[in-house]
Amino acid sequence: MEFLSEYVFSVFFVETLLNGLLYGGVLALLSLGLNLIFGVIDVVWICYAELVMLGMYTIYFMHVFYGLPLIPAALIAVLVVAVLGVVLHKVVINHVLGKAPINQLLATGGVLFFLQSIATLFFGVEFLSLGVSLGSFQLSEDIYMSTSQFVAFLVAAGAVVAMYLFLSRSYMGAAIRAISQDRDIMILMGVDANRLYGITSAIGGGLAGLAACLLSLQFDVHPFVGISFGPIVFMICVMGGLGNMVGGFLAAFVFAELIAIGGYFADLEWGTVLAFCVFVITMFIRPEGLFARKS
Amino acid sequence: MRVSRLLKGLAVSVAALALVTAPASAADKKIKIGVIYDYSGPLAGGGSELQALGAKSMIDYFNEQGGVEGYKIEAIYADAQSKPDVAINEAVRLIEQEKVDMLLGFYSSAQCVPVSAKVDSLKKFMWITTCISPAVLKDRGLKYVFRPQVHGGMFGELSAEFIAANAKSKLGMDAKKVRVAIIHEDGPYGVGVAAGNEAKSKALGMNVVLKEGYAATASDLSALVTKLKRAKPDVILHTGYNPDITLFLRQAKERGLKFKALIGHGAGYGVADQLYDALGKDVDYFFNVDPVSIWLLNPASLKAGLGDVTTMVGNKYMAAKPDTKVKSSHVGMAASNAHVFFSDVLPRAIKKYGGIDAESLRKAALDTDIPEGGTLLGFGVKFPEPGKTAMDGQNLRASPVVMQYVNREVKIAWPKALQTIDPVLPLPSSSPYAK
Repeated sequence: MEFLSEYVFSVFFVETLLNGLLYGGVLALLSLGLNLIFGVIDVVWICYAELVMLGMYTIYFMHVFYGLPLIPAALIAVLVVAVLGVVLHKVVINHVLGKAPINQLLATGGVLFFLQSIATLFFGVEFLSLGVSLGSFQLSEDIYMSTSQFVAFLVAAGAVVAMYLFLSRSYMGAAIRAISQDRDIMILMGVDANRLYGITSAIGGGLAGLAACLLSLQFDVHPFVGISFGPIVFMICVMGGLGNMVGGFLAAFVFAELIAIGGYFADLEWGTVLAFCVFVITMFIRPEGLFARKS
Repeated sequence: MRVSRLLKGLAVSVAALALVTAPASAADKKIKIGVIYDYSGPLAGGGSELQALGAKSMIDYFNEQGGVEGYKIEAIYADAQSKPDVAINEAVRLIEQEKVDMLLGFYSSAQCVPVSAKVDSLKKFMWITTCISPAVLKDRGLKYVFRPQVHGGMFGELSAEFIAANAKSKLGMDAKKVRVAIIHEDGPYGVGVAAGNEAKSKALGMNVVLKEGYAATASDLSALVTKLKRAKPDVILHTGYNPDITLFLRQAKERGLKFKALIGHGAGYGVADQLYDALGKDVDYFFNVDPVSIWLLNPASLKAGLGDVTTMVGNKYMAAKPDTKVKSSHVGMAASNAHVFFSDVLPRAIKKYGGIDAESLRKAALDTDIPEGGTLLGFGVKFPEPGKTAMDGQNLRASPVVMQYVNREVKIAWPKALQTIDPVLPLPSSSPYAK
């Protein structure tokens, strides 16, 4: 009973749940683009977090170095990463489409190391900070909410709704869904698959750029910032069902809450252990992912 | 005719060989040193690259002076990429393929622990300039590994001593009532310092309300902040690299964590420029335990001539990084520890023990007896007799200091004898973290 009153019926537990929710928003935003790419093109961009890193550098240089206001700098970052997404598709992905998955993984894995090295070469190893803080707002005497994480949460939710509407209501969205369901038939029906893949890569890249803008408010940028997110985001996508955007979105919150709650009741590291255990069990019980639709 | 041509040819060959070998024996008099730091990966920006710069400055300096006792220093620089496995592979590559005479450097304790055992088993000499974890040397009986650097236990103990000594006068409370939280990255470096924090805090009767580790690559530390808020510490003792430090401090501020003092322990806390760039004036009045920054020491307190060496290192530092606003203690640390080797140990190995092999270098290192004021860092150097202490190869005369950041300047707050500032404690109300 004492344990319950001290740990569970406590404002700090409420804050822990909120922490999980907000962290989930960050992870959900990161998982969106990766899931879209996999769902449509059927290739996993292992280097996705490195595209986010380049987006963070873009916003840093636009805002700090060239003195652009934050919003235009963010828009440029989204555009730059969207273009990088298309370039990645044209230069690398296009050549491994339809090849063995291991080859695709190795190719995008190679891009990961290439981008890390290029960033080290051009930008150095220093941690660069945007120097902007959105602060926080107080919900009660002891509970605060990070504004930047709250914005990330809202943007992630908005982005998933926008993507849902785009894919379900627009002509282009219908075409993207169609090609993700049957690549061969769509090509036989005269659809320009390359164009659709290019558009999808641009949207995926743009989502990475959007994530970069919000992450820049919370994290310093350095060539290896992707290490902190890449593996977790990939697992979230697998847990939610690779290619399933809504599944990935929900899995991000499950994952983040497990980390937060586990870290609250035990040592911090146990939170991650708990999340990984649930991931492994999920893979045994539902290898197609927690929220995958039954085919 | 044929015989005479053959003889002529032979004579020319012999003469040519003599010409090549005679000057070569003098020119080849060199010590080949493998220098390993992290030039890429998260540790590079967290301080390792600056340490590498300090070591390189000193190697270049001695080469500019014509080498050491007739030996040119040939340094082969290798990148550990912030990964222990790469550090081991590079160490072995340098020893077995590049045939280096010894290794120097190492920033991360997570690398030092396995590499030191490997190098020792290969019977090669290893001079550690940086990595501080006690686990590198403690109870391992390593024969060829030496560390002039302060070890992590001393870092951890000093911060606790500093708080206890100032509790009454500055915090207005008995030391036994001070609530201390210890948070640390969970590698050998963080664990070693935190162990020192905890042991000394408890020995001094302070109340340790939380002790917790986390992965330095963590992307979220909000759960740690929440636990700290619940534990309500007066003082936070933090050991981390970067960017975990800035992530923690940002999330702590956003979530309203309040405390009276925060003491960092080197690594990320030693790169003041990056802390200020990321967090601005919020960094003011934080403390950092490290060997004293060489730029803060009065040259008059050091052996004659060392002040000039400090100036030389500072010049090379600014030439390499002209945008620097606050000179990091990292550069001076590696420079000083490398200077001890090149100015004291190596000359003795060559002159007294006749060479640069591991055995000669080891004997020369064990003979080291530098009094206080004899190094750029101010402390002396003396290694224990093998087998007499738990840490063979650890400098017994090394000691850290407590520094405080004020208006983007670094001041010495403790010990009293070296003070350049009366420590500002507790945090003034201008700090967003002030309790």
